[in-house]
Amino acid sequence: MKLAIENVSKTYDKKAWALKSFSLELTPGVLGLLGPNGAGKSTLMSILATITRASEGRITWNGADIASNPDAIRSVLGYLPQDFGIYPNLNAVEFLEYLAAVKGLNAATAKRRIDELLTLVNLGDVRKRPLGGYSGGMKQRIGIAQALLNDPQLLIVDEPTAGLDPEERVRFRNLLSELSGERIVILSTHIVSDVEATATDIALISKGVLVAHASPEQLLRGVEGNVWEWVISSTELNSVRQQYHISGTVRRGDGVHVRLIAHDPPNGAQPVAPTLEDAYLFSLSAHRAMVPA
Amino acid sequence: MNRGHILYHLVKADFLERARSYSFLLTLGGALYIGYAIITEKAQVMIGSGYRGIYNSAWVGALMTISASVFLSLAGFYIVKNSLERDVRTRVGQILASTPIKKSVYTVAKMISNFTVLMAMVGVLMLAAFGMQLLRGEDLHISPWQLWSPFVLAAVPAMAVTAALAILFETIPLLRGGFGNVAYFFLWTFALVSAAIGTDDFIGMRVFHDSMQAALFKVDSSAGPNFAFTIGNERAYRTLVWEGIEWTPKMLAMRFAWVLIAIALALLASAFFHRFDPAFETAWLKRLGKQQNRADVEPKLRQAPDAISLHVHLTPLARSATTNRFVALIISELRLMLKGLRWWWYAGAVGLWLGTVLSPDEHARQVFLLVAWIWPILLWSKTGCREAQHSTGALIFSSPMALIRQLPAIWAAGAALALLTGSGFAVRLLMSGDWQGLLAWTIAVLFIPSLALALGVWSGSSKPFEALYVLWWYLGPAHFTPGLDFMGLTTTSRNIALYALFTAGLVIASYAGRWRKLAYA
Repeated sequence: MKLAIENVSKTYDKKAWALKSFSLELTPGVLGLLGPNGAGKSTLMSILATITRASEGRITWNGADIASNPDAIRSVLGYLPQDFGIYPNLNAVEFLEYLAAVKGLNAATAKRRIDELLTLVNLGDVRKRPLGGYSGGMKQRIGIAQALLNDPQLLIVDEPTAGLDPEERVRFRNLLSELSGERIVILSTHIVSDVEATATDIALISKGVLVAHASPEQLLRGVEGNVWEWVISSTELNSVRQQYHISGTVRRGDGVHVRLIAHDPPNGAQPVAPTLEDAYLFSLSAHRAMVPA
Repeated sequence: MNRGHILYHLVKADFLERARSYSFLLTLGGALYIGYAIITEKAQVMIGSGYRGIYNSAWVGALMTISASVFLSLAGFYIVKNSLERDVRTRVGQILASTPIKKSVYTVAKMISNFTVLMAMVGVLMLAAFGMQLLRGEDLHISPWQLWSPFVLAAVPAMAVTAALAILFETIPLLRGGFGNVAYFFLWTFALVSAAIGTDDFIGMRVFHDSMQAALFKVDSSAGPNFAFTIGNERAYRTLVWEGIEWTPKMLAMRFAWVLIAIALALLASAFFHRFDPAFETAWLKRLGKQQNRADVEPKLRQAPDAISLHVHLTPLARSATTNRFVALIISELRLMLKGLRWWWYAGAVGLWLGTVLSPDEHARQVFLLVAWIWPILLWSKTGCREAQHSTGALIFSSPMALIRQLPAIWAAGAALALLTGSGFAVRLLMSGDWQGLLAWTIAVLFIPSLALALGVWSGSSKPFEALYVLWWYLGPAHFTPGLDFMGLTTTSRNIALYALFTAGLVIASYAGRWRKLAYA
């Protein structure tokens, strides 16, 4: 099982590139696709889901080019877009039955699968209520359920935890871990903690370009020795912000505890163990320093 | 900031948003086509028995104004009836609702924005009027007053009322959707009929009617009181000189009154406008049985957060679980189409079906089948555009064989609906052995969903079908007009080959439209 993205670029108006020469090879596991807003994550997701066409480059699923044979990937795909709609008059079961028919799932299998999925996403109690009355989080869970209908080999989820409450978020992370064994999961998000909990690999994307592709451990090793905690007075905070890359601040009785990322620490700063969020910010700032705006 | 300033910026932003869209160019193109149709005499005003005016400034101005008022008061309504919907869809409405803006300022601003869009099209026709008089060359003396005053005094009030009705319909929940689109057609027809029986109408037909009739009686006292705006190949074969309307203070007051009525309608709309309040929308949907109160639906947390089950398991599916379930997909599409209908819709459909079977032949043709095939119009109008309207395209178009399986399933569901609702008449044709009638009926069963699908796929909206189908249904089958009677209700009006050809063309257009939307077909 292999998804290969080869030099894929996408432009919408021939001037700005949403993606530029993006290459990545994926095998079973969870890939966390991290990047700031507007980095090109959703564009990449929709190209992989065959919703939009790449301007340049090639994508193959197990060797088959999706441009000439899109059904090769569609038949094994589960896709949760960032923005999607529902049919408000249908209830959860009817909506999933409809999408099961669209995906070509046989009736008996679809029925069992829908029962299981609705229980899994904690919507069993409201399965017969019209979707028009669902809250944002419930709608998101319906989206998750439909993405899993056909037991996909390739699961693409774009900002899946948006609108979920903390409990559902934990359940979803666990679900991704459970699913990751024999399939490729692409989890696109800007919430680092979602990726931290589930991803076996991380791809950092910024301004349409792949900044880094590594395991979480490799990313953490890359930032080791560059993360510091420094206690300053609150009056110094603004000037420190101008000089250093700050990843967090906490106000305590002895002053403001500033977490900063720097090769050369200020006097009095103490080294601390890096988090994935530090590694993410470190990689992005290094990339921005290399690439002009 | 004063109200005038707020109004100006609301109108400006709304107009610019529309004017920069592709559809605005199309509507301007439509206005140009109206001008072309008039220049080539495909549309003209005929009075008495075959009279028309010579193409002087007065006649050209009147002809262009009548065309603009008639077409744009109908088509223009459907074009501009989306300004409130756009603010809901783009979620700009919720931002506006949180500002101190008055409801009346908002609805009047939307009305003015609608009016501006319509007047842009009228403006195109005003320029075309100038060119037309020169092109026809029957009278080369240009009188700006006679050429353009009809636009100002007749078309402007017509466009103002159309613009105001569009915003009023959008604010009233019952008239906001497809039912309102159909209801407006009949309101428009009523306005035209009221002009014919002597009442002043917002479209402005009456003022032209009276003035032209008076000119006709001067040259032909035996001429009948005929006044027709015709479309097609019928040509006037006699001419007269018409010097234009002598606008009396009473006539001007009546036309101005329509502008005031338009403003009153826009202010009335503010009474129904609920500032994008989701609670009101929810309550309204709940009454229709479509939506529940979110607080009632949100399930309680089953466990405290610290007791969340960490174990999540999903049974793997066998690879053989996927099959080509085309029939199941058709049933799913049909169910999607019918979902949410109330009992009275089914009662009406059954009643019409029984009427087509049990009533005398004349009534079955002229009443029951006719109504039976307008009854599901709001269901057909969603075909092909449901994915765009509900933003489900990403879920459906990433599924295998979306073009060759889902699209035919939608079409088949639409055809099944036509077949079911009109089958009473087919039984009748079978029993009487009217095989040609049965063939015409079969073509109609295929034609209706094809028209709905093509328009839905290309426009992404249900409105074009709702507007065009009602017009076609009214001009064609309801009047047994040859060439337009797609139901083939009489031997003289039916044209089986033409509609078979139309059906094939529309199916191809539907495929082409969907293929264009899919990144990989």
